[in-house]
Amino acid sequence: MTVQFVRDRPRTINEVAALLWFVAMTAMPVARAAEGALVMGVFPRLNASETTTRYAPLADYVSEQLGRKVSLVTSKDFEAFWRGIEEQRYDIVQYNQYHYIRSAKTYQVIAHNKEFGKSTLAGVLYVRKDSNITSLGQLRGRTVLFGGGEDAMMGYIAPVYMMLQAGLKKEEFKSRFAVNPLNSVIGVYHKQADAAGSGDGAIEQPALKNAINTDELTVLAVSEQLLHLPWAVKRTMPARLRESIQSALVNLENSEAGKKVLKSAVLTGIGKAEDKDYDPHRKMVRAVTGTLSPQ
Amino acid sequence: MQFGLRAKFTVTVLVILTVTMAATTYYFIHTSIERQEQQLHERGRALGRLISLISPQAILAFDYLQLNDYTREVSSQPDVVYGLVVSPQGVPISSYIRGSNTSLRDRIEAARPNTLPSTLQSLGGEDELLHLEFPIIHNEVLLGRFLVGMSRESLQKQIRRQLTVQMFVFAAIVLFLGAAISAVFRFSVLRPIEKLIAASDEVARGQYPVVEVTSADELGMLARAFNAMTDEVKLKQAKLHRQANFDALTGLPNRMMAFERITLEINRAKRSGERFALMFIDLDNFKDVNDSLGHAAGDQLLVDIGARLQACMRDADSVARLGGDEFLVLVSNVADEGEIERIAARMLEAASEPRELGGRKVVAKCSIGIALYPDNGEDVEALMANVDNAMYQAKAKQSGSVMFFTKEMNIRLRERMELEQDLHVALELGQLALHFQPIYGAASRRPTGAEVLLRWRHPERGFISPAHFIPVAEASGQIVEIGEWVLEQACRCWSGWRDRGIEPGFLAINISGVQFRRNFSRRLGERLSTYGIPPKALELEITERVLVEDHDQVAEELSSLRALGVRLSLDDFGTGYSALTYLKRFRFDVLKIDQSFVAGLPDNPDDASLVKAILAMATGLDLKVVAEGVEKEEQLHFLVTHGCDFAQGYLLARPMDEKAYASYLESGQADEPVCLTLPPTGETTAEEAAAVSFKTF
Repeated sequence: MTVQFVRDRPRTINEVAALLWFVAMTAMPVARAAEGALVMGVFPRLNASETTTRYAPLADYVSEQLGRKVSLVTSKDFEAFWRGIEEQRYDIVQYNQYHYIRSAKTYQVIAHNKEFGKSTLAGVLYVRKDSNITSLGQLRGRTVLFGGGEDAMMGYIAPVYMMLQAGLKKEEFKSRFAVNPLNSVIGVYHKQADAAGSGDGAIEQPALKNAINTDELTVLAVSEQLLHLPWAVKRTMPARLRESIQSALVNLENSEAGKKVLKSAVLTGIGKAEDKDYDPHRKMVRAVTGTLSPQ
Repeated sequence: MQFGLRAKFTVTVLVILTVTMAATTYYFIHTSIERQEQQLHERGRALGRLISLISPQAILAFDYLQLNDYTREVSSQPDVVYGLVVSPQGVPISSYIRGSNTSLRDRIEAARPNTLPSTLQSLGGEDELLHLEFPIIHNEVLLGRFLVGMSRESLQKQIRRQLTVQMFVFAAIVLFLGAAISAVFRFSVLRPIEKLIAASDEVARGQYPVVEVTSADELGMLARAFNAMTDEVKLKQAKLHRQANFDALTGLPNRMMAFERITLEINRAKRSGERFALMFIDLDNFKDVNDSLGHAAGDQLLVDIGARLQACMRDADSVARLGGDEFLVLVSNVADEGEIERIAARMLEAASEPRELGGRKVVAKCSIGIALYPDNGEDVEALMANVDNAMYQAKAKQSGSVMFFTKEMNIRLRERMELEQDLHVALELGQLALHFQPIYGAASRRPTGAEVLLRWRHPERGFISPAHFIPVAEASGQIVEIGEWVLEQACRCWSGWRDRGIEPGFLAINISGVQFRRNFSRRLGERLSTYGIPPKALELEITERVLVEDHDQVAEELSSLRALGVRLSLDDFGTGYSALTYLKRFRFDVLKIDQSFVAGLPDNPDDASLVKAILAMATGLDLKVVAEGVEKEEQLHFLVTHGCDFAQGYLLARPMDEKAYASYLESGQADEPVCLTLPPTGETTAEEAAAVSFKTF
C-alpha cells in the first residue's frame, strides 16, 4: 500500500486563472474558429484544467509561428470531443490513435507525440505481483479494468488484442472501465480488478507514482510498439497551412521556446507522421472491434 | 503566627474569588470544549456527507485520482488527520493522511490494508482523535465508506491557550479585586477599628478621648456608642473618684485624698526644703450633740465646722474630714510655729462660734494636735501617728487645747499602750488585788465600813496607781471586766467575813460610767442574791461625770438601784459640775467631799467656807457626808464641828489588804475609838455604822 500525503498549500493563482480561462473557452469555441482563428482540440485524457495548463503554451506557440490566432479548446468528456470531430470543429486536433483511424476520412495525420523520449508506446496489461497471475490465460474468468473506454487505443484495444491473440474471448473475462489508464492501474493496485489495461508509460507517470506504490505491480503482457498519439488537421486545410503547422510542431525541439512549450505539455518532442504509420493500429482495431469505424 | 483581621479577610476574599473564578473557568472551558467538540463533529460530518455525496461517480468510474483529489482536499482541511475511502469489503481505495502527524502516520503505515479501518477506528477512541465514518451509497447500493479522522489537537491547543489566557485574566482580576477589597477594608473598616483600639488604650490609661464619627454605618454607630460609653465611664469615674476621695457629708477631701495630698506635699517640700504642718482637729463631746440633738444636727454641725475651718485656710492649704468628728488640716510652707499657733487659734475661735442646731444654740469646742514636716516625721505614716498623738494629748489636757507634738508624747503613748497590754493579762495573772480603807464616824471615830480600793502590783514596774491605769482601762473598755471583778471580789469578801462571824459593815465601791450603762442593776441584784448580801451593805460611788453622759439611762439605772435597796453616793463632790440639779433629780444618800477641799482645812478660808457650805447643804437635803483625805486632827475637828458625818484618811486608818482588814475587824480594833487629839463629839449612830464606803482608787 502506498499512502500519498497532502501538502498544506493553497491552490496556486495559476490554477485559478486557468480554470477561469477554461470556462470562458468552453462557452464559445466555435465562434472563435469562425472568425478566422484556428481551433486546436485536445482529447480529454486529462481533465480540462490540466489540459489547458499543458497545451495553452503550445497553441500560443503555433499561433505565433503561423501568425494566426490558434485557440485551444477542451471538452468535458469524450462524447463532446467526438461530436467536435464529427462536426469538424477542430482545425488542429490531438487525439488517440483509434480516434484518428475513425476520423481519417476528414482528418489527416501530420505528426505524433514523443513522450518520455519515445515516439511509440505499447498496450500493457498490469497485475499485482501478489496476484499470482503470470499469463494471459489466467485472466479467464477474471475482471480486467481497462483505462478509458472501448475506444482507448492503449487502455483497451491493444490489451484486448493481446488477450484475443492469447486465445481468450471477450466473454471469458469481465471488462470494467476506468476513466483513464492511470485509474485502471490504481484500481488493480487497490484490488478492484485482477488486471489493468493501460499504456506502457502509465506506470512511469508521476501522478501514478504519487498515488500508489508501483513496485507492487508487474507487467503481464506488452503489445507491439505503436506510434504515439497523432496530431491531425482537417483534410480540407490548405496544404501550405498544413505544412506550416507540421513544421511548427516538428521544430519545437529545435528552439528554446519550443522546448519550454514541450516541457509544459509534458512531451519530449513531436515528430512527423503519415497515415500508413497507423496501419498497425488499424489491425488491432479491426481485430477487437471487428470494424474500423463502428457506429 | 497570628494573622490580623485584614489578612484573614483578604485571604478569605481571595479564596472565595479564586474558587469562584476557578468554577467559572471550569464552566466556560467545559462549555467551550463541548461547543468546539460539537463544531468538530459538525465539520467532520459536513466533510463526510460531502464526500459521500460526490464520491459515487468517481467510484463507479474507477476514477481513483479523482477520489484522491477528494480525499486530498478533505485531508487538507483544518483538523482533518486523514481521509480514507474504502471499498465495501474494507479495502482502502483512496487515502490521505496529514503529514505533520508523524506518530499517527507511522501507526497507520504499520497497519495492513485490511486492518486499516479497524486501526483507524481504534485511534478514534483516543482523546486526540475523532473518528467518523460515512457510507457511500449509489442507488441504494453500498459503494464504500468514507472514513475521516478529526484531530482534537488544535482544539486542545485552543483550550490550553484559552485556559492560560483565562487564568491570567482571572488571576489579574483576583489580585486586583483582592487588593481593592483589602484597601477598602483597610480604609473603611480597619482604620475606624484601629482608632477605636487606640481610644480604648487611652481609656485604659485613664484618658477619655472622643472618637471621630466619620460614617453612619455600623462602625459609625460603634464609634458613637464608644463615645457615649466613655462619657458614661468618665462620669462614673468622676463619681467614683469623688466618692473615693471626698467626704459625702461635708464635700471635703476624705482620708484617702488627704493622705495623697500629704504625700504630694512631702515630695514638694523635699524639693523646696519647706516645712508644712498637719493639724488634727477633733470635736470635744461631739457624741453629746448626736445624743441630745440627733444625728441630723450632728451632721449639720460637721458640715458647719468643715466650712468654718476651710474659711480659715489659705488657698494653698487643705482641709479634710478623716471620719467621725475628726478633721485634718494641711498648712503649706510654714515659717514658724507661731504662724501655726495663730491659725490654730483662728480655728478654735471659728469652731466655737455659737450656731443654731435643732432650735438650740450650740457651742462646739475642739482639740487640735499639730505635727510639723520634717521635724515630726518624714512620711505620711509617721506624721499621721504623731499628729494623732498630739491631738490625743490636747484632748486629754483640756477641751479646746492646742498641742504641738513632742517626742515625750510618743513615750507616754508607748507607755500607755504597754500598760493597756499588761492590763489585759493582769486579771488572769492575779496582779490585781482589793484593799480596804476604813471609813469612820467622824464624831465617834468608830469604823463603820470601808471604801474598796483596787491595787495593781506589776511584776516589773511594781505598784501602779489606780489614777494611772484606771483611765487606760476606761478608754480601752477593760473597765467593765475589771469593775465586775471588783464587785465580785468585794461581795465574796463581805460574804466570807460574815460567814466567819465578822461584822464587815458597809463596802463602798466606785462604779465607772461605762460599767454603769450595761444592765448594771440587774447583774448587781443577781450577785447580791448569790452571796446573800443585804443591799444596804453596799454603797455605790458615782461621779458627776456619769450623770452628765445620759440622763435618761442614768436616771433609770439609779432608780433601779434605789429600788434594789443599795445606797448611792455622789463621789468627788465639788470638783466637777457640782450641779445642784443632780442632787435634786437623782436621789443620793451620801455626798463625798473631795480630799482636795479637806487638805486646806481648817486654815484655808476658801476650803473651809466651801466645806461648810457643802455640809450645810447636805444637812438641808438630808444627805450624809463623808470627808476624804483626813490626815490631821485639825481637819477632823473642823469636820466634826461643822457636822460632817463620816471621815476617812490616814489619820484614821490606812488602806489594808483583805487579810489585814479581816484581822483588823476581828481584832476588835474597829470597836476601839481611834486615838484622836480631839475628843469624840458623840456616839456613833446606826447610819454611821452602816455608811460604809469603799473606793476603787
